[in-house]
Amino acid sequence: MTTKRIISAVLGIVAGLLVAVVFFADFNQASENASGDLKSKAEKVYVPYGELDEYYMMSSGGHSGQLFVYGIPSMRKIRTVPIFTPDPATGYGYSKETKEMLGGFTWGDFHHPAISETAGDYDGEFLFANDVGNNRVAAVDLSTFTTVDIMSLPNMGGPHAGVFVTENTEYIALPTRFARPLDNKYADLDKYEEEYKGVVSMTTFDKETKKFDLAYQIVLPPWSYDLSDAGKKMSGDWIVMTTYNSEFATTNLEINASQNDRDYIVLVNWKKLEEEVAAGNYHDVNGAKMIDPRDHKGAIYAVPVAKSPHGVDVTPDGTRYIAAGKLAPMMTVFSFEKTFEAIEKEDFTDEKFGIPVLSYESVMEREVDPPGALGPLHTQFDDKGNAYNTMFISSEIVKWNIETGEVIDRTPSYFSPGHAAAAEGDTVSPDGKWLVSLNKISKDNFLSVGPSHPESMDLIDISGEKMEHIMAVPVDPEPHYAQIVHRDKIKTVTVYEKDENRENSVWKQEDARVERKGDEVHVYGIAMRSRFIFDAQSDRPDAVTVKEGDRVFFHLTNIDLDQDITHGFGINEYDLNFEVQPGQTSTLEFVADKAGVYPIYCTNFCSALHQEMSGYLLVEPK
Amino acid sequence: MKRNLSNASVISLITAAIITVSTLFVPWWGMKFYAPQYPEGLDIIVYPSTLAGDIDIVNSLNHYIGMAIFSNESFPELQWMPYIVIAFFVLILIVALLRRKSFLYGLIALFVIGGIIGIWDMYRWLKEFGTNLDPMAPIELEPFIPPIIGENTIANFVTHSYFLFGGYLLVLVFILLVFPLWKDRAK
Ligand SMILES: [Cu+2]
Repeated sequence: MTTKRIISAVLGIVAGLLVAVVFFADFNQASENASGDLKSKAEKVYVPYGELDEYYMMSSGGHSGQLFVYGIPSMRKIRTVPIFTPDPATGYGYSKETKEMLGGFTWGDFHHPAISETAGDYDGEFLFANDVGNNRVAAVDLSTFTTVDIMSLPNMGGPHAGVFVTENTEYIALPTRFARPLDNKYADLDKYEEEYKGVVSMTTFDKETKKFDLAYQIVLPPWSYDLSDAGKKMSGDWIVMTTYNSEFATTNLEINASQNDRDYIVLVNWKKLEEEVAAGNYHDVNGAKMIDPRDHKGAIYAVPVAKSPHGVDVTPDGTRYIAAGKLAPMMTVFSFEKTFEAIEKEDFTDEKFGIPVLSYESVMEREVDPPGALGPLHTQFDDKGNAYNTMFISSEIVKWNIETGEVIDRTPSYFSPGHAAAAEGDTVSPDGKWLVSLNKISKDNFLSVGPSHPESMDLIDISGEKMEHIMAVPVDPEPHYAQIVHRDKIKTVTVYEKDENRENSVWKQEDARVERKGDEVHVYGIAMRSRFIFDAQSDRPDAVTVKEGDRVFFHLTNIDLDQDITHGFGINEYDLNFEVQPGQTSTLEFVADKAGVYPIYCTNFCSALHQEMSGYLLVEPK
Repeated sequence: MKRNLSNASVISLITAAIITVSTLFVPWWGMKFYAPQYPEGLDIIVYPSTLAGDIDIVNSLNHYIGMAIFSNESFPELQWMPYIVIAFFVLILIVALLRRKSFLYGLIALFVIGGIIGIWDMYRWLKEFGTNLDPMAPIELEPFIPPIIGENTIANFVTHSYFLFGGYLLVLVFILLVFPLWKDRAK
């Protein structure tokens, strides 16, 4: 009897344990831990349906004038945002406000994106873009991923060395690449040294009004300014720029600008210049407040560096600046502390163009020269004190320790990397997870599309001691730099706010109307699933009749305040198409210079009856 | 006058009065619509004095099937509902002060009648909206009557209708009203 009891009790406990193990033990968990290091490359980049990438990569689109937005680690392209280039798909460059913003230009050469920063870290509010082709700066609102302002910069010769932002986005700085006479003047190339100038534009951006302002410009010797960065923390008042062409060559630069053994890193104290400008110490040049830093003690210095350097990048802690050699196969680490000390002691070896030149030996901390690594271009950082350099000529990424200069690892890229972007890799707190190598060549890596191969990007896992090459993906020509920002920092809006006071907006169907003012016809219309209403009083609310030669304004409000219900608006044979997103009001302005009947239709798929969302523009002959 | 309600019953009634008036600020009833492209669901939320939720979106979708527009104006009840709530609040307080069981019977009867009328009124509207569809609508549907509580499928939409916090509070009010009948039952 007792034995029986004991046996049944033991059996009961065993059965209970068995049930508990079967139902509650997480076998998956255990196996996942065990195979953590063995996770396949495919698993690392696979983002299952319903989940989202951890990072946005904001990649410049080069001479496409567009921003390419990717998800990391999947490397899926999420969106193309037009900045300097008209885009029929979104109506960018066709609607009135975007047309005005583009100012008649149809392209721009976007090299270096810069996300707005607070205390040296991305705040994810805006992204700034430079236009090397046509001397402009643009701002993209990252709550809508749309371009909100473009400003033309006077006195510039292609702002290649921008854009970069100071620690708290006080300034969006754009140093010029080509020297040019100021004020759009003519000067013979024989007078290059005297008449040509390099210029840095210091622009400010008002987050409320979403408008740029040109605070001041810095006039510099006619060197070419290649790349630049802003200081952080202890170096927060400074900007650093690399130069080439200290030879003042005016032709055949490939040879003639590569003769001197040394070029310079130029250091400018923007805080000092800001004070001087505020005190009125500037000249007006072509509407810009132009300041010559050589007129103000302590505002500008030069540091000799191996010839024709490319990138110069400030370390996350702000204590060092690293030049990538391009023609000299090494990276040079300079110390801000030593730089400030040398400035204090006036430890100058020379003066060039009135700029004190600091002694290389006293400010240089170390030269890092991995054997066989050729053509270093750019430096990115991780969270463990390491730097990553792209090697254009030897097609590889080199990982090395900033503190010791020790080369830790090297991994090939496919092929010829220009910039690299690490996750938050140029902020005060890099994440150290991923690095994307932005390559110039992809030769035979993808299905052939004829003589021109796509550019490519390599995704590299940098979370471990050794780098791991994960995948290569093709990309439209031609990304230069990119920034990788954590998704938590991007706060998008899904519909535009219903602002009943917005100019030209109409929110009720019965308020849709057509008003004629002389030979101007203003249509205050609405788009809603799935019809246009241009004139609520008319028998045919979706038809508009104008006279040949009339200037026609379609002010269209999308009153569908529903996510992702975007309406388009295309007019047959008038080469016009624009869009209105939920809650948005856009205006299309054109001259109805062709008599006839022109169908209008919604170009952006909006509902099952999207095909029926149409109307007519009737243009009566004169 | 015979005062035959105990202190506990009076407290119960006063609580009922306070809860009644507080339901003015919370939703009573709601409907949620799910479709493949609306996995997060669209809401219609009914407060005693106003409609809330994704009314505009629901209206813009309803026009495909020819359903009339939902708005505060289409339900005159929403304009005088708050007065009824306040009237009940006052009535309950009066009964609590007078402490007479016979008045309480009358109050409960009124409350029950009010509830039945309310539910009948809701049914009437649901029927009106679901069966009186515009014959010109692009999508032709069999007329339907969404339930007051429960699930229903209309085209690609699955709808769930249910009472919300305010509705449950009214049930609680009813319990608090009948509580004195049990508490002060003849022994
Ligand atoms: Cu549409």
